[in-house]
Amino acid sequence: MSLANEFTKGIIRENPLFRLLLGMCPALAVTTSVDNGLGMGVAFSVVLLASNIVISAMRSIIPNSVRIPAYIVIVATFVTMIDLLMHAFTPALYTALGIFIPLIVVNCIILGRAEAFSGKNPVIPSIMDALGMGVGFTLALVLVSAFREVLGAGTFFGQTILPENIPAIMMILPPGGFITLGCLLAILNKIQKKTA
Amino acid sequence: MRDIFKLSLFLLVVAGISGAGLSYVNSLATPLIAEQIRQNKIDSFKEVYPQSDKVENESAVYLKDAHDPALKEVNIAYRGGMPAGVLYAVETKGYSGTISILAGFDIADSRITAIKVLSQTETPGLGAKAKDRFFQDRYKDKNTTLPLEVTKTAPVKDNQIQAITASTITSKAVTKGVNAAREHFNATFGAGKKQ
Repeated sequence: MSLANEFTKGIIRENPLFRLLLGMCPALAVTTSVDNGLGMGVAFSVVLLASNIVISAMRSIIPNSVRIPAYIVIVATFVTMIDLLMHAFTPALYTALGIFIPLIVVNCIILGRAEAFSGKNPVIPSIMDALGMGVGFTLALVLVSAFREVLGAGTFFGQTILPENIPAIMMILPPGGFITLGCLLAILNKIQKKTA
Repeated sequence: MRDIFKLSLFLLVVAGISGAGLSYVNSLATPLIAEQIRQNKIDSFKEVYPQSDKVENESAVYLKDAHDPALKEVNIAYRGGMPAGVLYAVETKGYSGTISILAGFDIADSRITAIKVLSQTETPGLGAKAKDRFFQDRYKDKNTTLPLEVTKTAPVKDNQIQAITASTITSKAVTKGVNAAREHFNATFGAGKKQ
């Protein structure tokens, strides 16, 4: 597989949210506004990139029988660093994302990439894999949150774009998250079927 | 047996390196975070009681007697060396969690200068609007003589606060918190103060 392929597979073919259906919890919980979706996606991507690099660089010295605890320690370290740095430099985003930053530790996509990819592949392909998956997950979050913010609050990036009586508040409440995600998955499956 | 030592040693080394890295980042971030929290507090004080030279936390003096548990802090705003306003930090139970509010009072006029919702976990799009200016402005310049009450229609009396549409519980919670501060203010700094 070429490097470009490693990058693009995470965006469409193996998109973590839409095709692998991983990372559902943050995808439903933080996508109430595009700001939050984008912030979560970027924080997630940074952690994934750092952990993929370290794990793939250490893949020959991590003993197979303790690889999962080692991965978790590495991921948790990066998440805590991001958590502290976000608190220090982007307090507004930190408050908005709240508990979902520490929860990146147990985000199944990151552990999944460590198991499925960076634990077995050299550093450069692992970087491409992390970038692709990061971009893919971020785009997916932005797409879900764009629908929810526009339909639920009538705003986009905080700018009002719909008249006040159109938005349905349900869309930014939990049911709206499930409905949006379900509809998007259905549409993407339809497109996928046609092209396949 | 040897394997167990090797594996434990490996995890120990990994955890040790992580710990060292974390303590470095922590030492970088902690002063910035502390500064941020301090700055936030100063900014909120300015927002709630703009005309003051300095604000001192005097909870130790004013909250030493039995008081409403909603009251968390009493800050005195000084102007020209004289106490001019009181800033209460209050916590109240909203629809889905604690709402913490800063409420400012002017001593000379016995009125609310402004309130600010510092943190809340209310429903996005509904109760979370409590942190929006338009709702907080409904408390501005209210007289402290009468207890504030929540109405669902446009207010006709001075002590009425119009609720946020579809978020009566949140509106009542915020009002309850402000009322707790108002009562303490009246008893301690108001016209009929006991000194």
